Order: sequence, then C-alpha cells, then structure tokens
Amino acid sequence: MKEEIISLIASVLEIPEENIQENTNLVNDLGLESLDLVDLVAAFENKYGIEILDKDIKNLQTVKDIILYIEKKNV
Amino acid sequence: MYKLYIEKDVSSNELLKKVLTTLNTHDNLVYNEYGKPYLKRQEIYFNISHAKPYTVLVISNKEIGVDIEKITMKDKVMKKVCTEEEKKLIKTEDDFTVMWVKKESYVKYIGVGLSYGLKNVDTLKINNFIIKKFKDYYIAIYGDDLEEEEK
Repeated sequence: MKEEIISLIASVLEIPEENIQENTNLVNDLGLESLDLVDLVAAFENKYGIEILDKDIKNLQTVKDIILYIEKKNV
Repeated sequence: MYKLYIEKDVSSNELLKKVLTTLNTHDNLVYNEYGKPYLKRQEIYFNISHAKPYTVLVISNKEIGVDIEKITMKDKVMKKVCTEEEKKLIKTEDDFTVMWVKKESYVKYIGVGLSYGLKNVDTLKINNFIIKKFKDYYIAIYGDDLEEEEK
C-alpha cells in the first residue's frame, strides 16, 4: 500500500519517488497548492474507488496521513 | 475598494509583511481555524495566493478572496469540482482555469478553503468575480467591494 501510494503521488506530481517518504508533508515539503492537492485526491478516489470528503482534505498533510486514511476507507 | 499586488519570487509571508508594514498593521496578524490569516483590527482585509513564481495579494476595506493559477487543464479535477452545467461550458484550458480560480477565490473569501467543497461553489449562480489575465495566469478576486483602487 505504501509503495503504491508513493508511486501514485510521484506520477500525479511528476516528481521522483525518491523525494517522497512516509513523513513527507505535501504542502511544506513538496510545495503542493490547492489544484495539485485536489488532483491528487481525485487520483486516489479513482484508484481506490473511495470518496475523500472535502472536510477531510485539510487533515491529509503527510503521506502517512493518506495511507492511514485510505486503509481505513478500504476496510 | 481593493488593491492588487503581484510580485515575482517572493514568499507569501514576505509580500504580506512588506505591504502590511507600509500600512503599519503587521503586528495584528492572526489565523482562523482553517488557516486563513486576518487582522485583529478589522479595518483592513486581505488575501494571498501563490502560483510559481508569482505571489498575489489583495488588500481591501471589506472581506475578500483571491486566487492565481497558471493556465492548465486537469480533467479529473474538473469532474470532481464542477457541476454538470459548468462542465458543459468548459471547452478550453482557459475555461477550466477561470472556473478554478473563481471557485478558489470564493472559498477563500468565505474563509474555509477546500473544506467548503468546491462543487458547492456554483460559478453560474455567483456573480461579481473580477477576472484578470496576467501572462500565462488567471487571477480571480471575489469580495464585498470590488471596485479597484487607482494606482
């Protein structure tokens, strides 16, 4: 799951996977802005067939937050 | 009344501090629970947006929101944030980018950011956006007083 999510982030943001770790912060470390963030959220929704609620987006700050969120949704 | 500042290669904080210092109000800066900065003394409202390498800042006497974005097209984002009616009207990158900056400037005006749900911002029903094209970018401004101050 972790590798899959990192790979998807790298592909959507067009950055090397090596730049992304579990504790990487999307905004502070990768410089994501709103459009990138929504693009990423839409990619996760498509890949995992889940809905990420608008109110939850602000809580997805690190790669680990995303992994935990998707794992929880997939249960 | 609002005034728009656009600068290249400065951080949001640098531009904000620079402009607020000239207005002698930088020491009143606080943030709401969604991270929107505002001034404790409410005579001045402002909002900031950033799209590499530009930072835009609007200062107003009324509540205001601004967004800048480089002209682009993101299909997945369009499907997620646009209403069916809006989707029908998006034919070009310019259309998509204008739609995006309108939605963003509105939720930034409200002060809750993405939590509001961009699909809930129906740009066909909300009027009075100011749209400016700047190089390869679009800027949208939404607020309670959208008369631009003369420079």
